[in-house]
Amino acid sequence: MASGPASLDSPARGPRWGWLLFSFTRREVLGRYAGSVSGLAWTLLHPLAQLAIYAFVFSHIFRIGVPEGYPRVSYLAFVAAALWPWIMFSEGLQRAMASIGANAGLIRKVAFPHRLLVYAAVLACCAIHGVGFIAVLAVLTALGDPIHLLRLPLVVVLLVPYMLLATGIGAALAALHILLRDVEHGLQVVLSVLFYASPILYPASLVPQSMRVWVEMNPLGWFSERLREVLFLGSPLVPGDALAALGCVAVFAGGLWVFQRLSPHFEDFL
Amino acid sequence: MSDARPLVSLRGVTKDYPKVATGGDRLRTLTALLFRRHDMPHFRALDSVDLEVRRGESLGIIGENGAGKSTLLKAIAGVVRPSAGAIEVNGRVGALLELGSGFHPDYTGRENIHLSSALMGLTRRDVRERIDSIIEFADIGEHIDEPIKHYSSGMVVRLGFAVATALEPDVLITDEVLAVGDESFQKKCIAWLERYRANGGTLLLCSHSMYHVQTLCAHAAWIHHGRLRMLGNSFDVTQEYLTWHEERNASQAPAQRAPEGPYPRVMKAWTEDGTGEPAAVFAQGGTLVLQAHAYEPDDRAPVLLFGIVRADGTSIYGSHSNESDFQPARSAPRQFAFEVRFEPLSLLPGKYRLRVHALDAEGLRLFDTLDIEFVVRGETRDYGLVALPHQWRPGRAVREAVGTS
Repeated sequence: MASGPASLDSPARGPRWGWLLFSFTRREVLGRYAGSVSGLAWTLLHPLAQLAIYAFVFSHIFRIGVPEGYPRVSYLAFVAAALWPWIMFSEGLQRAMASIGANAGLIRKVAFPHRLLVYAAVLACCAIHGVGFIAVLAVLTALGDPIHLLRLPLVVVLLVPYMLLATGIGAALAALHILLRDVEHGLQVVLSVLFYASPILYPASLVPQSMRVWVEMNPLGWFSERLREVLFLGSPLVPGDALAALGCVAVFAGGLWVFQRLSPHFEDFL
Repeated sequence: MSDARPLVSLRGVTKDYPKVATGGDRLRTLTALLFRRHDMPHFRALDSVDLEVRRGESLGIIGENGAGKSTLLKAIAGVVRPSAGAIEVNGRVGALLELGSGFHPDYTGRENIHLSSALMGLTRRDVRERIDSIIEFADIGEHIDEPIKHYSSGMVVRLGFAVATALEPDVLITDEVLAVGDESFQKKCIAWLERYRANGGTLLLCSHSMYHVQTLCAHAAWIHHGRLRMLGNSFDVTQEYLTWHEERNASQAPAQRAPEGPYPRVMKAWTEDGTGEPAAVFAQGGTLVLQAHAYEPDDRAPVLLFGIVRADGTSIYGSHSNESDFQPARSAPRQFAFEVRFEPLSLLPGKYRLRVHALDAEGLRLFDTLDIEFVVRGETRDYGLVALPHQWRPGRAVREAVGTS
C-alpha cells in the first residue's frame, strides 16, 4: 500500500535521491512513535476510534442506513472503506504542508531536492494508514462483510491519483506556508468542511438531487464512492476513473510547479 | 573530467534576501517570486562576487561577522540560489555548513549517520561500506547507539565531521566547524584535512582563525559587506585583513604638527630600503632605513625620538638620539639630518607606523610628531609583533636525579 507518489518520482530522479526519499519516509514513520511505548499502535488506534464513533453516532443515533446498492454490507464497513483513504489524504496533506517548516534546519544547511520532504510526508501517511486499512478490511471480512479482497490492486490504482492530489495540494501549500502562516489555519477549516461535504459517512445517493452535481464534481466524493464500489461490488475500473486521475495529475503538476518556483527561496524565509 | 575547467567558478554572484517585516511585504514578495519579478523589498548579502577555485587550490574565506561569508559558502554548496550571476561547480560538493545539522535528536548516532549520509547524496551501499570507518573516526564509543539528544555538543560535532570524511568530495566546504570540539579531535580533523588536501582535495574554509586559513589554504578571499575585497595569497590577505581590523580598533591619535614658530620641528621624514630608494613596503628580515630632517631654531642639534607602533596603536619599540654620543649631520643652517637603520628588520608581517618626534636639544620637551606608515611582508606562521632571535636544539635527556620514581 505504500506506493503512491514515489512510483512517479523515483525513475526520473535516479537512485541517489531514491535512497534519501526512503530515509525521509522511514524517519517520518518511525518519528511518529519515537518516545512512546506502544509505538505504531497509536497511529492505528486513532482511526479505529474515529470509525467506532462515526459508526455509533450515524448508524445507531441518526440511523443512516447502507444504501440498497450494497447488499449485506454493514455501516461499519461502508464508512471504513472511505474513511481510511480520507485519513491518508487529509493527514498526508497536513503533514506535507508542515514538512518544509518542520525541516527548516535541514533546508538552511544542506542542499537536496526539497520536494522529497513533501513526498515523504505523504508516503509515510500512506504506509501507516495503508497497513491499518488492510488490517481493518481483513477484520471486516472475517466478520462477514462481503469484501472483494481480490480487487485490492484496483484499490491501490485508485489510491494513487487520490494521493497525488494530496501531494500536489500539499506541495503548493507547503511552499505558500513558508511565506504566509495563514495557510495552516485555513487548511484546518477547509478540511473539516470537506470531510462532511464529501460522501464518506453517508452515500452520495442521500444527497438531494439539486446538490448532487457538487458531490460528483468533488474528487474526494468520486474516489470514496468508487472505492466502495470496487471493494463491495467488485466493480472494474470505469472511464470516469481515468478522467479523475487526469485531474489529479494536473493538480499534482500545478502544485509542484508552485513548489518548485518557491523552493529556491525557502532558505530566505526560514 | 578536464582539469582545465575551474572546480568552482562564480561570476557576478549576487544574493538579495527579501525583507518581510509586514504582511503586505509577504504578499508582494510571494507574487514577485511566483511570477519572477524583481521588485521585492530586499537587502543585499552578496554583491557581484567573482571567484574561481581550481582543483587542489584550497581557498580560505575571511571577513567580519555578517560580511556574507556564510551566504557565499551556502551559494556554492547549493543551499542558497543567487539572485543574479552564475555558479558553476565541476565536481562533487561536500558541505559542512553546520555540523550535525542533518541530525534528528531522537535518533541514535548510528541512525543519524544513515540519514545524514543519504542527505549528502550517498547511496545505501555507500553507507554500508563506510559506516564502520565513520564510527571509528567519530570515536564516541558506545554512545553511537544512544539518541543524539543525550550527546554533548562536542560529540555531535565528532559525528558530523566523521560523516563528512566518508563522502570524499572534490570540494569540501566548511563553515567555522573547526572552532568546536576538543583539542585532540581538532587535531584529528586538521590531520584529516591535510591528508585530504594532499590527495588532491580542495577545501573551501570559512574561519576566523587566521592560523587555520594560513595553514590549510594557499589562497584567501576577504569578503567585506558582501563584496570581494581582496583575493590572493592567504598570507597577504590575512595580514591585510588583520591590519584593517587593527586600524579600525585603533584609538585614532591624530598626528600633531607644531605650529610654525621658534620650536624644534620634524621637517621631513621618510623610509627607504637598503639601497636608498624611498619605500613603504619591506621584507621581513630586510632593511628599513628611516631618514629624518629636523629644524632647530637655535641651531643646536635637536633630539630625535622614534617609536614604532602597530596599526592598532600597540607600542613596539622606541628610542631617542641622545642615548649615545651620536651627532646628526647639519644639512643646512638650523637643519639636521638623521638616519636610523633597522637591519635585519625583525618585525613580523603587518602594517606599522613609525612616529618621529622632535625634542629640544636637552631632550626634555617634545614638540612635534610625524607619522610614516609602512608595511612588512613575509610568509611566516610566527605569532606576535617581532621575531626574537632564538635557536631550536635537540632537547637534553632528563637528569637521573629528576623525575624518576
